[in-house]
Amino acid sequence: MDFAIHNSQSRTIVYAKMPPPLFTTRESEGSSTLLDEKLLRFMEQLELLEEKRASLNSLIEQGWFSMSKARYSMGNKHVSPLQYASEMEPLVLVHAKTLDSGELDFSTERFEQKCCKEVGADNRSIEEIGPQEKGVRRRIKPKEDITKKAVNEETSSENAPEVTPVTKSDQNLQQDPLKWFGILVPQSLKHAQLSFKQVLELSAEIATLQTAVLSTRQELKHSKKHKHEEASATQLDSVAD
Amino acid sequence: MAGRGKLIAVIGDEDTCTGFLLGGIGELNKNRKPNFLVVEKDTSITEIEETFKSFLARNDIGIILINQFIAEMIRHAIDGHMQSIPAVLEIPSKEHPYDASKDSILRRAKGMFCAEDFR
Repeated sequence: MDFAIHNSQSRTIVYAKMPPPLFTTRESEGSSTLLDEKLLRFMEQLELLEEKRASLNSLIEQGWFSMSKARYSMGNKHVSPLQYASEMEPLVLVHAKTLDSGELDFSTERFEQKCCKEVGADNRSIEEIGPQEKGVRRRIKPKEDITKKAVNEETSSENAPEVTPVTKSDQNLQQDPLKWFGILVPQSLKHAQLSFKQVLELSAEIATLQTAVLSTRQELKHSKKHKHEEASATQLDSVAD
Repeated sequence: MAGRGKLIAVIGDEDTCTGFLLGGIGELNKNRKPNFLVVEKDTSITEIEETFKSFLARNDIGIILINQFIAEMIRHAIDGHMQSIPAVLEIPSKEHPYDASKDSILRRAKGMFCAEDFR
């Protein structure tokens, strides 16, 4: 505080100069409100993340419990990596989309098993394998016709094997993983599969939340730094005056 | 291949990998390396770290699921991963329940707060 003493006509007036505020009130309120909003958002995201984590962990444990029950009924070595297929194709993929805010959003996409479609293809291939000639064949034919038919049959027999191996390999790759463990699997193994499918969907949500939490944390850090820089700049200005 | 989604990779013990492969995430063929690693008692830390780094280097993996006790073995590699993709999720195992205080993401989020921040 600065003091100035003014003497006039036997009266002493003391002026006291109050120090200026650290920074203007409007600016401080604005940046504080912004910080508060970001902090609240951060806390909400953390709380949601914790809830989803708890659900994920309990679903995973449920899946293991069902797998153990299946192992008990099928045998120890019948539910193990020994049963994994030699070739696998993923049935679920994850898409990462960048939102306007710059955050990432993960979502899962599950493919239906191609078993039904493959059955249709097999039917078609069976139809193709069958005789291509319509009508009744004549037993006695001129030699030219016989040679032509032989060529046709050869070509058709050449074509037929080309069709089937392709469909068989596709069918193996897109197979339901449940079939690795046998044709008739216990219900507990199906429950385990269901639990893990739910876990995968939750995993995508948790991945989204994690990236959101980290990005909010970065925003908070920058806002605090900005607020402190403003405060120190205003203090320096007032000292210079 | 444009618009095709990314894979979900898993590094876990036998039960974890079997469960997630049952869920349908597995990819195994002659052309590409598998997107999963079954960690057994004799699996070396080097192998786990190399597999993790190879998953990070691939541009077709969106999420990596890893048992937390395995993540502890390669904590330095996980803490060094700062990118958003692939996202790393630590999951519990049968013998080691999930511990939030060990999770890299939550530690990073928790570490920002100190007494001065609340002035």
